[in-house]
Amino acid sequence: MSKSTHIKRGTKLQQKAFIKGQLDMMPLNLAVLPWGLLCGSLAMQNGFTLIEAQLMSLLVFAGSAQLVAIELIANDTPLLTIAITTFIISSRHFLYGLAIRQKVIAQPLRWRLPVSFVLTDELFAFSHHPKAYQTKARLIYALSAGFSFYVAWNIWTLLGIVAGQLLPDLTNLGLDFAIATTFIALVIPAIKNWATLACVLASGISAAVLKSWQVELWLVFSALIGMSVGYVLSRGRVR
Amino acid sequence: MITTILLMAAITFGSRYLFLHRALPFRVGAKMQRFLSFSAPAVLTAIWVPIVVLPGNQWQLSYQNPYLVAALVAIITAYKSHSIYATTLLSMAVFFALR
Repeated sequence: MSKSTHIKRGTKLQQKAFIKGQLDMMPLNLAVLPWGLLCGSLAMQNGFTLIEAQLMSLLVFAGSAQLVAIELIANDTPLLTIAITTFIISSRHFLYGLAIRQKVIAQPLRWRLPVSFVLTDELFAFSHHPKAYQTKARLIYALSAGFSFYVAWNIWTLLGIVAGQLLPDLTNLGLDFAIATTFIALVIPAIKNWATLACVLASGISAAVLKSWQVELWLVFSALIGMSVGYVLSRGRVR
Repeated sequence: MITTILLMAAITFGSRYLFLHRALPFRVGAKMQRFLSFSAPAVLTAIWVPIVVLPGNQWQLSYQNPYLVAALVAIITAYKSHSIYATTLLSMAVFFALR
């Protein structure tokens, strides 16, 4: 085969990867619409300027941290408290970085930087293929999915900023169900053995219990409990 | 305000980048990797379960809780269909019908 057909094939594959990334992320882009709207409108209600409200989504790009921080900023909370709270909410990302480290670490910085910038819960949910991040096409797939989520998040925020007052009170509509059902749709088909089932049960139950006890790090603790259960039950089994 | 936003951006990005930094001198071994292979189902479940059973931060383990009923519909649909669209559309329809 000539070199040019090789290159053509490669380009075709990368285009496919790009499109697949956009398509795979689309349901999640829609599911965060209510959160993005809420982030934009809540920021405006709490005295952010348009630029500040949008900059938050452009630079921080972390829904739960943003929503909590907007409330804190509005209440004149000290900067240190805001920093610590952001750190606690963001601490699950350490787990994501650790989980994909061996797959990504061989890539040059110009790939690792954008990947880590868009390493959200949503992108992490698509990071589990054994070859994820390890070929050019798979990197393009991940960045396409990750940045489509970034663009959507910022468009929803902008919509919340400019149209927040016109929209009904979003907090009472129960729109948080959208993200719950998307995560259910991602997790359930991934349960392929007893260890994963036990992991999911342990993590779900402990998350609800720890959160109801108002444990600050409930998300990370419950994830670690679930992972430990899965790990113990999968020991001695050939992978 | 801008300072707060920049600080938050640094913390969030730092938490995402840290373990993708090459200078950190360690390798994730086989056992650690197996432990971490459970992180996606564990974290995602830890996010959705409280939304469903603790709406408004109150325990609601009742068939009158639309979150819970619609989540059960979602679980069954996801199990049967493996389709993200079927799962989300059907369970959202049930959720809004019950509210």
